Amino acid sequence: MSVVTEISADGQKLTISVKGRFDFAKHLEFRNSYELPDRAMPSSVVVDLKEATYLDSSALGMLLLLRDHAGGENSDIRVVNSSSDVKKILAISNFDKLFDIS
Amino acid sequence: MADTHLDPDVLSALQEVMEGEYPILVDTFLADSEQRLQLLKQAADATQILEMAHSFKGSSSNMGAIRLADLCHELELKAQGQNLSGAEALVAEIDREFAFVRPLYEEERRRSLSASLIIRR
Amino acid sequence: MIAVQPALESLTILIAEDSAADRMLLSSIVRRQGHQVLTAANGAEAVEVFRLQCPQLVLMDAMMPVMDGFEAARQIKALAGETLVPIIFLTSLSESEALARCLEVGGDDFLAKPYNQVILSAKIKAMDRLRRLQATVLQQRDQIARHHEYLLNEQRVAKAVFDKVAHSGCLNAPNIRYLQSPYALFNGDLLLAAFTPAGDMHVLLGDFTGHGLPAAVGAMPLAEVFYGMTAKGYGLAETLREMNAKLKRILPVDMFCCATLLCLSVQRRSVEVWNGGMPDGYLHSMATGERTPLTARHLPLGVLNSQAFDDRTEVFPMALGDRVFLLSDGVIDTCDANEQLFGVQRLQEVFALNRQPDALFEEIERALRDFGGEARDDVSMVEISLLEPARLNPPAVVYSDSGQSCPLDWSVSFEFRAATLKRFNPLPYLLQLLQEVHGLRAQSGALYSVLAELYSNALEHGVLGLDSGLKRDASGFTRYYQQRNVRLDELQDGFVRVHLQVTPEGEGGCLAICVEDSGKGFDVERVLERPLDPVRLSGRGVSLIRQLGRNASWSDDGRSARVEFYWEALA
Repeated sequence: MSVVTEISADGQKLTISVKGRFDFAKHLEFRNSYELPDRAMPSSVVVDLKEATYLDSSALGMLLLLRDHAGGENSDIRVVNSSSDVKKILAISNFDKLFDIS
Repeated sequence: MADTHLDPDVLSALQEVMEGEYPILVDTFLADSEQRLQLLKQAADATQILEMAHSFKGSSSNMGAIRLADLCHELELKAQGQNLSGAEALVAEIDREFAFVRPLYEEERRRSLSASLIIRR
Repeated sequence: MIAVQPALESLTILIAEDSAADRMLLSSIVRRQGHQVLTAANGAEAVEVFRLQCPQLVLMDAMMPVMDGFEAARQIKALAGETLVPIIFLTSLSESEALARCLEVGGDDFLAKPYNQVILSAKIKAMDRLRRLQATVLQQRDQIARHHEYLLNEQRVAKAVFDKVAHSGCLNAPNIRYLQSPYALFNGDLLLAAFTPAGDMHVLLGDFTGHGLPAAVGAMPLAEVFYGMTAKGYGLAETLREMNAKLKRILPVDMFCCATLLCLSVQRRSVEVWNGGMPDGYLHSMATGERTPLTARHLPLGVLNSQAFDDRTEVFPMALGDRVFLLSDGVIDTCDANEQLFGVQRLQEVFALNRQPDALFEEIERALRDFGGEARDDVSMVEISLLEPARLNPPAVVYSDSGQSCPLDWSVSFEFRAATLKRFNPLPYLLQLLQEVHGLRAQSGALYSVLAELYSNALEHGVLGLDSGLKRDASGFTRYYQQRNVRLDELQDGFVRVHLQVTPEGEGGCLAICVEDSGKGFDVERVLERPLDPVRLSGRGVSLIRQLGRNASWSDDGRSARVEFYWEALA
């Protein structure tokens, strides 16, 4: 399983960990990780990229979909543990203007 | 060397499969085998002997003639090893064995024919 | 629910066996198992029967006269081609050599004599499963191949349309050099170039998420906006806002377009840059040899809504002969066998070693080749030089009206106040208005340049109070435009008035333009005393106005500028 999810005890925080290459092949898995049919969308989301080796433009698109689903302008999404390569990609695309990236 | 000349289990299985055509099968086998024996006696080299012995072995085992099949197998091995000493003696034995089982097959044939007649009545 | 085994369908099975009794026996066994039987007494017969009747499975005796089972099996397998026709060898061959030979010629299994019905039945079933599996695989392969063909065809159509759109601009201008190589059927990177009415050049290099067909879908509306607005004289900021709004509206949430947009101006000796998500571009100064990176400061197009969108551009001085180099990330992401990226560093090395600017393209291409890389994406590179205006020939504009009636005697006045000055560029509108006067059409370029110059003077030096002296060097240049943005954002009062008057004159006519601003004015006499100098970075563009228009004059302490244009009777 290359996309692992965890919900905090109070149901308010969703953590999505992506392992390996974060690319189009993970599309469905990633979407399934936050489209939770039987509960409300948690108010904050953390995308953990500690074990992500690579990020391409479809991954950026997937983050946008997540943001849209989580409330768009009102969403609270943090992207954490990005490697320097991943950080570079996020920087060039200026996604730090949309997401809290660390 | 097995003592079984004709394996009755094989025969009954054959009868079950062939049903009405059992007698024809027996006839065919007997006719084939005679031909093969002739060719075996006339065979000039190891290759020919090998082919005949192999073929005879196959059909006799199918027909339940165990001892006959074993003898053919022995002859086959000899021919394969290019060692034809004693081959003539083996052929004679095969001939004898066939002469032995042949009337047994004919008896089988007769028995099955009358049995089917009984059924039809 | 009990799983039910699908009933074994009745197969046509060929039995090749030279012993008549064995053949008869086997036929009965197989028929009793529900199959159709074909027979052959030797190898040659077996091949012939196979050729004529195409059985689905073959029981083959190894030793047969005329042609043995091995040769027959080889020939049958050849005849069967891609289709799997299982061949079960009937053999009492015990040596592994002989068995190996069975496999060599394509045999799939063995059945020993004496024949065991149970085993035979099991083997036939197993072989049939394999046979059907193979048939399914072939069917699916053919289906996939067909679909692939359809997709390729759709891509060809998309490519044809895309090419028309992408290449209807001025990419063939002498100052542009570009290279595009496609990853799939066509290169989805969008490269557009067009002249503004003033003779400036707008260039866009765009990279949509994905490539091929999806990219083409977004490219077409984007290109329409780019060409349309550039031709009308809109600046980068407005064009960017429109393009972003359009993409945001029509593209799905996860699709966007990274883009670098440039405006090169020979008149102003500058390049204006907006980079959203693209790799660094480079501005190469011939004089100093320095390469200034043009870094992405913005999110790609189509991500933010109109309120959040940031259209702020950066402006750099550009001398004649200087070049801007842009590339898409397909270059950087080219990967070699060890998953190493070509990377920015290698690119910088090529730059550093480059001696002949004209050879840069080839050097980069060679470096990519030598790297042994495999492109993972469309690769696009473009280099634009600032050339003397005489060498560029903006194409003539085509007008769509009948050319019969036009307004010849009229005037109009506008007053643009602070709130409008912040967000609205009136120039395209004014130009469009003036183009209604047929006699002025031939001078569109000069007209637009003069109007633009007058307006920007009035706005920047007049209303915003910016000191044109700042623009004398590169860092001052940057500060000037930063200050411009800041002051414009903070603007509360002020105005720019534009007065246009068209009157007949003999056979032709005269246009008088008057632009006033609410600023402090300037020392007109001192500026006018300077000789006409087309090369200076700074200065109020006064020389330009005097060169392109007639009877240029300034009054009200420099707060009011006036210039005239004349035209003869149209032929």
